[in-house]
Amino acid sequence: MDDTLLSPFDPAGLTWTRVSPRLVTARLVVAGVWLAVLLVVTVVVAVLVGIAWVWAAPAAVLALLVWVVWLVPRQVRALGYAERDDDLLIVRGIMFRTLVVVPYGRMQYVDVQAGPLMRWLGIAQLQLHTAAAATGASIPGLTPDEAARLRDRLASRGESRLAGL
Amino acid sequence: MHPVTPVVRGWKLLVAVLAVLGFQGGEDMFGVVTRGDVGGVLALLGVLVVFAILGFCWALLAWRMTRFVVTDDAVHLRHGILFRSQRRARLDRLQAVDVVRPLLARMFGLSELRLEVAGGGDSGVSLAFLKEKEADRLRAELLALAAGLRRPASTSDQVLGDQVLGDQARESEVREGQAGDDRGFAAAPERHLYTVPLGRLVGSIALSSTPVTLVVASVAMVVAVLVSGRLGILVGFFPVLFITVASIWSQLNGGAFFRAATSPDGIRLRHGLTESRAQTVPPGRVQAVSIHQGPLWRGQDWWRVRMNVAGYGLSSDGVERESTLNPVATRDEVATALWLVLPDLGVPDPVATIAAALTGTETDGGFVPAPRRAVWVDPLGWRRRGVLVTRRALILRSGRWWRRVVVVPHERTQSLALYQGPVQRALRLASVFPHSTPGPVTPVVSHLDERVAASLMDEQAVRARQARATAGPEQWMRRPEVS
Repeated sequence: MDDTLLSPFDPAGLTWTRVSPRLVTARLVVAGVWLAVLLVVTVVVAVLVGIAWVWAAPAAVLALLVWVVWLVPRQVRALGYAERDDDLLIVRGIMFRTLVVVPYGRMQYVDVQAGPLMRWLGIAQLQLHTAAAATGASIPGLTPDEAARLRDRLASRGESRLAGL
Repeated sequence: MHPVTPVVRGWKLLVAVLAVLGFQGGEDMFGVVTRGDVGGVLALLGVLVVFAILGFCWALLAWRMTRFVVTDDAVHLRHGILFRSQRRARLDRLQAVDVVRPLLARMFGLSELRLEVAGGGDSGVSLAFLKEKEADRLRAELLALAAGLRRPASTSDQVLGDQVLGDQARESEVREGQAGDDRGFAAAPERHLYTVPLGRLVGSIALSSTPVTLVVASVAMVVAVLVSGRLGILVGFFPVLFITVASIWSQLNGGAFFRAATSPDGIRLRHGLTESRAQTVPPGRVQAVSIHQGPLWRGQDWWRVRMNVAGYGLSSDGVERESTLNPVATRDEVATALWLVLPDLGVPDPVATIAAALTGTETDGGFVPAPRRAVWVDPLGWRRRGVLVTRRALILRSGRWWRRVVVVPHERTQSLALYQGPVQRALRLASVFPHSTPGPVTPVVSHLDERVAASLMDEQAVRARQARATAGPEQWMRRPEVS
């Protein structure tokens, strides 16, 4: 990119609100638990088998863990949303970037979800639903207050602009 | 509901039991019958009779428990034996009304009335079975109510004449004038548009990939048998044969006698060989249209036209059947089908634009093409990739061998996504996805210049908003309230 200012993912005059960094912890804990289990299993297998090259498996898992630890904070920093007068913009991804524009009037309903881990960390996820299943727009890692504020705001804006399908 | 319903419905359990028996114990049954084992045959028949009676009893109970009421703004359906459920479908959210006549129901002169409302999952309302006349009358009534007309008998809303203007006013008078009984509405008059001849349908199926699969499978089968010398191998090919034959049958059955007409209540489609289906899709309910052509159809200039309607295409079966606007269309019929959905394409010369969309490449017809460097990510089809923004719709063009055109009216754009992978980023390309409701049409325009894509995103959001503001009301016979 020779001209980062004119990237299609940064519409002019828009400031992105970034999500809570606690999402990094949430994602790392989930990934960490899975990878730790995998690591233990592969180590046990390697010890039992006792052949040198079988240790490649735990090594690969370890490498994956390092990569995840490096990647997740970057991914979370790349997540952002912005409210415009008539639509909500969500951006995510570093290598594979996606920008979703959801008009308020097209929103059918809004979900706020928070699992036990997310509640413990004090974050929630906002899920937007339009009549198109493909929309699949969600904003993870919001503080509960922000999630509730956004939910109410989207609901009220959606109502004033709702126009069938 | 009609009292013969349990007779028609009861067969389902019997057929299911027969199918299970046939699959699980086909050989045993065969053996019993051929050995002349009288006791065994009697036992089998006994089991079948018991299941038949059970099936009919269940269907009878289900029929007794099913009730529906049509009010001015909704249809209420109550059904269920052990687990009761009530459903209320709002008529102003009505997306389509289908009258379906399966073979058996046809013999009894019965129809199923299916209402699609745009809910998630299986949210439609099915009223089965009604007498054919009753179903037709009910459909006319539901469409009239959904259109915003009121029953002549109901005193609550008699200011109708003032609220409807021009052609529509005349139309509603005609309707009320023709109303047979005090609460009935006459069906809206319709104008026939096109019929797909059976010969063309058969030809189109012959020129699709399914018969090729069939031929290849048959040849493979014969070779396998000759080489191995064992007939037992044939069994392994049965699934393939079964699937291809079933596919050919469903194409033929669904597309036979395909007729399209237009009426004030929207698009009317009728088709079906054994199971006949009459669909009515009210104005403004079609979310997107796709026009396809495989390489084998090119010589005949045939196209398949399909549509997205919210509510259709959510069930796993019959997607193809419900969402087809024309199973095999000529060039003229493509234009007609598009006109049905979008009377004004928003371009000065629709025929030339459609031609450019169907067969054009690069900048033909004013399309904004994918830039030349897209050849690195799409070496074969990049010339065809392009997008045209008209006053009323977004036209997306793609596919070198499998030509594909998607038309999305601006007011039907749900949300938009912009996507860029690492290779696209290096080439300064990006893809735009205008999201549509679930269905056979997935609009996408890939590998545009990233600046073009970004401005398309921005402008499309604005255009969609403006188009929605001026779009017709949900109740298509009503004048929008002045706010």
